[in-house]
Amino acid sequence: MSRLKLALDLEGTSRGRQVRDIVEGLGRLHWVRGALVVSPDGFVIAAEVPAGLKVEPLAALAATLGRDLEVGASRLGHGAFQTAVFSADDGTVLLAASRIGFVVALAEPQANLEAVRSALGEAVTLIEAAWAPAEAASVS
Amino acid sequence: MTAVLDRLLHPGGRRRSPADLFGQADRLRREGRYAEAASLVVSGLALDPNSVTGHLLAAYLHAAQRTIEPAKREFRWVLGRDPVHPRALLGLARLALEEGDLVGCRECLSSALRAYPDFPEARAVLDALSAASPESASPSAAPVRLERVRLPGAARALVVVDAHGQVLAERPEVEDAGPRLARIAGLAGAALQRAGFGPLRRAIIDDHEQTEFVRADGSLTLGLALPRATPFPQGLLEVNRLWGTVQHELAVTRDERPVPPLDAVRRVS
Repeated sequence: MSRLKLALDLEGTSRGRQVRDIVEGLGRLHWVRGALVVSPDGFVIAAEVPAGLKVEPLAALAATLGRDLEVGASRLGHGAFQTAVFSADDGTVLLAASRIGFVVALAEPQANLEAVRSALGEAVTLIEAAWAPAEAASVS
Repeated sequence: MTAVLDRLLHPGGRRRSPADLFGQADRLRREGRYAEAASLVVSGLALDPNSVTGHLLAAYLHAAQRTIEPAKREFRWVLGRDPVHPRALLGLARLALEEGDLVGCRECLSSALRAYPDFPEARAVLDALSAASPESASPSAAPVRLERVRLPGAARALVVVDAHGQVLAERPEVEDAGPRLARIAGLAGAALQRAGFGPLRRAIIDDHEQTEFVRADGSLTLGLALPRATPFPQGLLEVNRLWGTVQHELAVTRDERPVPPLDAVRRVS
């Protein structure tokens, strides 16, 4: 194996590891019940959610919602969609847009939403830093 | 000649099959490594241009990289081979929704569910959209228009929709603003319900230009767009104040509505 190929493989592996670390880190925040990273087409890249919660339908909804917010913001000339906080009586879903998809956190009512929102922002920054150089190729 | 070229191109030995390439591409896609996955899909499709798996992966990767038209083409290619391919139908449904084509989106989801009734992702999205669609309103119930509700000083836009997604107030009038708010409330409400949190009550949505504060109660959803720098407590205060005004106006408008003549009232027996 060439040194270059080894370096690329390590870089790729570290990105995969990094996204799992991001999800685990969000899940460890106080009063955060779970977190996931979902691709814009609704595929679950990484998830840490409570047992019994079906992650695929939630991911499909989060990705559909995230894309609607992205497309809506750009159609209305508002630049890029960044974050959204959706609250109900028994908890909050937070969603942030990133290069590879959407970072989602599920928070209990007692959670400090500003802190979770800020952690989501940091997660997006980490993803941007790790993925930016690799996104050159495309399917034609 | 081909064998010689093959040996030159693949000095390590065995040439990778399209299945190998697509399998590896799928693994990379599952890690969010879209660019690397894309180059493998290109190689795989060069070897097997009619691979449904390859075209489906290409569609996923285009959708993941937010390149909509090529994603649509690839999903349609797959449906050309398998008209009820559930993943291609779900993919196309989501792209239709992004373009505001609610009818097309529902058709795709319904087709997928007719062929595969146990398809939780399609069911979740379809249910979320059905909840807040104007078609779900009773045809006899004309929506109330809240003509007297004014945009607060600092606000940029205001939209109020009812439980069926019908617009009750909109300042200024912007194409798709009402249906968009209804869709977002429906999808967010469904996500909250899936997470076990209950129905949507409030939302704060940030983009580069503005922050939208939303309040909802199941029968009404109000969205108020304020400048990006608005502190959250102030935004929430503004949306609460407006919520009170809208509730009051709704009550007044309903009181002011002409009572239909007695012979026009159908008796339910």
